Amino acid sequence: MSILSYIAISEGKIKRSSLEVVSHARKLAENNGLETHAVIIGENAGEFVDEIKKFGVGKIYTVKSPLLKDHINRTLIEAVVKVIELDKPKVVAFASTEAVKDVLGAVAARTDAGVISDVSSFDLQDNTVRAIRPIMATKFLAETESSADLVLVSVRSGSYDVKESPGDAEVIPVEFDLDEDSLKQKIREIISTSGDKIDLSEANIVVAAGRGVKDHEGKKLVEELSEVLGAAIGASRSVVETGMFSPTTQIGQTGKVVSPQLYIAVGISGAIQHVSGMINSKTIVAINKDPEAPIFDIATYGLVGDLYKILPLFIEQLKELKSK
Amino acid sequence: MNFFACIKQVPDLAGPMRIKDGELVQDTDRMMLNAYDASAVEEALGLIEKYGGELEVVLAGPEKAKETARKALAMGAEKGNLISLPPDLKLDSAGYAEILSAFYKDKEYDVILCGKQSQDTDAGLTGSMLAEKLQIPYASNAVGMDVDEAQKKMIVTRQGDTGQEIIELSTPCLVTCSNDMNEPRIPSLKGIMQSKRKPFDTYDLEKLGLNSEELTASKVKTKITGYRDVPGREPGKKLEGEPEELVQQLINLLENEAKVL
Ligand SMILES: Cc1cc2nc3c(=O)[nH]c(=O)nc-3n(C[C@H](O)[C@H](O)[C@H](O)COP(=O)(O)OP(=O)(O)OC[C@H]3O[C@@H](n4cnc5c(N)ncnc54)[C@H](O)[C@@H]3O)c2cc1C
Ligand SMILES: Nc1ncnc2c1ncn2[C@@H]1O[C@H](COP(=O)(O)O)[C@@H](O)[C@H]1O
Repeated sequence: MSILSYIAISEGKIKRSSLEVVSHARKLAENNGLETHAVIIGENAGEFVDEIKKFGVGKIYTVKSPLLKDHINRTLIEAVVKVIELDKPKVVAFASTEAVKDVLGAVAARTDAGVISDVSSFDLQDNTVRAIRPIMATKFLAETESSADLVLVSVRSGSYDVKESPGDAEVIPVEFDLDEDSLKQKIREIISTSGDKIDLSEANIVVAAGRGVKDHEGKKLVEELSEVLGAAIGASRSVVETGMFSPTTQIGQTGKVVSPQLYIAVGISGAIQHVSGMINSKTIVAINKDPEAPIFDIATYGLVGDLYKILPLFIEQLKELKSK
Repeated sequence: MNFFACIKQVPDLAGPMRIKDGELVQDTDRMMLNAYDASAVEEALGLIEKYGGELEVVLAGPEKAKETARKALAMGAEKGNLISLPPDLKLDSAGYAEILSAFYKDKEYDVILCGKQSQDTDAGLTGSMLAEKLQIPYASNAVGMDVDEAQKKMIVTRQGDTGQEIIELSTPCLVTCSNDMNEPRIPSLKGIMQSKRKPFDTYDLEKLGLNSEELTASKVKTKITGYRDVPGREPGKKLEGEPEELVQQLINLLENEAKVL
């Protein structure tokens, strides 16, 4: 029996969060006398095998097909289910990406599995998976367990360290085909907003804008700051709603969960639904003109003041520091 | 199109809550319509205004959750359905999906809407579980929706990992909704008055061919064994003063204390 880790590929790269998951899965497998297996699903699944071999896995399943070029939930479900039926794992561990969120419930229903989504940690003991998951916009943590024969777990990014380990994996290509008409769905268009920018969910530094960023000038300041810091840009719901920032940048209960080394909240009040998505950031800087704003309750460094005055100075000094 | 929305009653997260004897207790007992489901109801009503059709809502929960179903009727849904559950029955997403799929077995629908997640559990599983059980295509995390009348298809814009995907789904289908899709209407006084006269059916598990013991034993596969408070963060430093000083101090702290520059 195994713990099977799902390796997510996004824009031609392995998601770091999947490496976090496989690193942790290997440890749990060792503790429980299980094997560590991995599955890579995608148009070019084979290209990532060498990278995954470095994580001490016994078997790597690859499912490769042109049908898997873009994310379509039905194809991904069929591919994952096929590998689960082949491998018969005890646990399948996923990084909690949007693509995984899209299919997790359906895969669980199909395989009659227990499923625990969006956990911040999980353990396996005596055939029971015990997990901690933030609930109610991270107001509380729920200790959740499942003793089902098969348990699916999805893990929030940043929950574990990436650790390599020597191994010599056997690579098992899995045949995959599907009648496209049976999908009953079709992609009309993909509006990609990321381009070559830094992946927000895995960024080391995030500069996030809120309603305090009122206009084009404010947006430019945020962009400049993120540029000098090599940071990804995030946003609160308010400025996504107004269309000033792309929906892909939204952080929080509805949006993405991030856990960077440095999170700079610019003109964000700190509503629980926003904080839910960034509370695990290592250092939090808040810039807000209202000294009572709740964001200051969680900020490592809180600056009370006008972002339009603070950001230009901050950017200038950072530039100076960099040129030294 | 004929719409159904699955709606859930959740505690008001803005109110105080604490852990007592291993359970989460609410001091105010204020309950509300799951925000994501309110967006689902709003979206259906908007599409019905444009293309015609009807909306029914279904809620599984204790008898007192009926007030939440009424709210959806007051917003404009035509008919309510309550699947009345014993108040002490503990279910996970799989349990609710099982109940909902039993409800839909003999219903005629073009589109089932769910919320993308429950505001209280943040699980995000029920919708795709239900679609799988009903064997219909689905899209999750929708931020926009339209109807292709000629082809009887739903056009859904969903938020993916790196951008938005515009997908067409054959009907019948299921869509889970983000609250980033719209601003749910506040029921008018007239709407509230009308809601009292709208048709409303009540089911229990037996009527759906289910029973609590079997659900708990074979369908519910996860359980919550305890709650914890979120560990507090180290108290931080609040800096006040002139912008020049603030920036100077911040750079210093980031460089020498946090060591992140
Ligand atoms: C179910 C649900 C899910 C949600 N999901 C999310 C989510 O995923 N992400 C999210 O962000 N929100 C989410 N929200 C919304 C959330 O509740 C808040 O409404 C939102 O986060 C507020 O955004 P904000 O902080 O930018 O705006 P505001 O709360 O309006 O705060 C703006 C702040 O900017 C400050 N400011 C103004 N001008 C300046 C200036 N010149 N200089 C410095 N500071 C200034 C103000 O003092 C204020 O504190 C959700 C809500 C619900 C109900
Ligand atoms: N008790 C319920 N009654 C009706 N719909 C429900 C119920 N529980 C969950 N749902 C639907 O499933 C969505 C949330 O799924 P989940 O996050 O898995 O709980 C909600 O937004 C509803 O659309």
